[in-house]
Amino acid sequence: MSFEPGLVHAPLTPFTAGGRIDWETYAGVIQFHLANGADAIAVPMHSGEAVSLPDREKREIITFAVNEAGGVPVLAHASDSGTGIAAALARFAEAAGATAIITTTPYYWTPPAAMLVEHFAEVAGAVSLPFYAHNAPDDMAGIKVSVAIALELIDRAPNFIGVVDSGLDWQFMLELITEAPRKRPGFQLISGNEYMVSAGSIGATGLVSTLAAIAPQRVRALYDDCRADRLFEARKAQEDLAALRQVVKASGVAGLKAAARAMGRDMGAPRPPLKSLEASALAGLQQGLDALSALSGEPRGW
Amino acid sequence: MAPTFKGVMQSTVTPLKDDFSLDLETFEKVLDFHVRTGATAISWPHHKAESLSLTIDERKLFAEVAVKVVNGRVPVTIHVSSLAVADTFELARHAEEIGADGILAITPYVWAPTAESIEDYFVRLCRSIGIPVISYNSPSYLAGVEITGELMARLIAKLPNFVGVKEASFNSEKFVEISRIALPLRPDFALVTGVEFLLPSVPLGGVGCYSAAGSICPNLCTRLWETCTAGDWPKAREIQIKMTRLWHLFKDQYPSSLKGGMVIMGRPAGPTRAPLPTATRERQAFIQSELEEMGILDTEPHGW
Repeated sequence: MSFEPGLVHAPLTPFTAGGRIDWETYAGVIQFHLANGADAIAVPMHSGEAVSLPDREKREIITFAVNEAGGVPVLAHASDSGTGIAAALARFAEAAGATAIITTTPYYWTPPAAMLVEHFAEVAGAVSLPFYAHNAPDDMAGIKVSVAIALELIDRAPNFIGVVDSGLDWQFMLELITEAPRKRPGFQLISGNEYMVSAGSIGATGLVSTLAAIAPQRVRALYDDCRADRLFEARKAQEDLAALRQVVKASGVAGLKAAARAMGRDMGAPRPPLKSLEASALAGLQQGLDALSALSGEPRGW
Repeated sequence: MAPTFKGVMQSTVTPLKDDFSLDLETFEKVLDFHVRTGATAISWPHHKAESLSLTIDERKLFAEVAVKVVNGRVPVTIHVSSLAVADTFELARHAEEIGADGILAITPYVWAPTAESIEDYFVRLCRSIGIPVISYNSPSYLAGVEITGELMARLIAKLPNFVGVKEASFNSEKFVEISRIALPLRPDFALVTGVEFLLPSVPLGGVGCYSAAGSICPNLCTRLWETCTAGDWPKAREIQIKMTRLWHLFKDQYPSSLKGGMVIMGRPAGPTRAPLPTATRERQAFIQSELEEMGILDTEPHGW
């Protein structure tokens, strides 16, 4: 299993005014990412409002993305509270032509380590595709994919080839990259967000980027510098993207969608329970974006 | 005004006799050992020096010893953080009086202070003395209490002697927030990591670390610093991974295992004060086998 995802863009999900998936715009979203530096696409991640999509829509999105991507790898995010539901989605994604599966820790249950291993092992076992576990403690009430869990999962799942890490913890990344490849040569650390310099220095080979919806050129430059071990040179792009992240962070998906709209790419409002930004928050966000000179080199419109 | 705080700075352990009293003679040896083996600065007593298990009088006594023994060969900073803020201020004044080159201070313990309260604390502390102050950020040990990049910026604007931070969050986002906000305001601001996480920090403006492993493997520490500053990332990665394995070994009941490792290296520094345990013979044997496997016994100095 030699798949490496490279720079993965995680698209936002466009909705119509009525709250339905806006397929016409979605085609444009995927073409935009392919034309602006994506080596692969991951759908539907949390920034793509995965948890607000009923299972049927997740399946439609995966099928749609595979067709639109024209052979570019599609990583399907198959995550759910119920192990069986997540496994069924993964199985569907494999049949639909996805290239790999990403699974986040299960929602809500705050499971202990043994339960997490079981969850991941069953979802991974449902497919023969490359499988990534997603460590996202900030999104998941502190629940982590620990190094011990990863090592145990290597024994359980032959297709478990890496961790997508959004936890940003240097000790975790270093211990994972020290331990896991000893048990599974080629085991990958994939950075789950744009803090690629530290992750890349430690040995991350891939990056799953949400900010590529706003600043794909900077994301590509950051990724390329990091992969070429030009780490000092990567610092400027890293700080630019960190500044962008801080502008959108507090308002979550609504902020991401507002920022994308400011760049000329309107994807509608987020689905409830998320709300669009109110006027004052929107003005603050616009002010933050205006202060980022790095955005001047980024594409406007589709 | 500030001496430069950069490179692999050694924060030494506190040697104790078998009855748990301070071991002055060995402390002098520890200090000399670090200066001779490449420390770019000495700092005492960090938590691994059992700072919070020492009395204020003991802290003053050894601070004086540190300044006297190092004798200007490298800068000496004194860690002044205490449970009672009044003690912190007293130790800071004392450090200045005895000729220390700076102090180090963490956000106040226990009370989970707000950002405003942390700001007020550092403003008062920095204004109470005339020597440089290095702040100390350790959110994972202090229930999430931290000095954010924004707060750093406010402190830099107000305080000419607020010269750096010992950054121990070991988190990419927190580190970048400080580097991108604080460094442009004070370009010689010393952004150093809490232990030897040089690989993920040097590319982002990190200028060094306070070392934990230096009492075991000073050569490896120096080599990591050299490869990082030279941008030799493949070699730096290899050393950082080895250093991580060492950190994993020593952080157990920190600093008990570190002191246990010092016995193996022929530099015994005595037991560890309660509530921490002293490394047992079994633990020492395990440490020895790990150090052997990593080749440390062949490549690092033995004895003082």
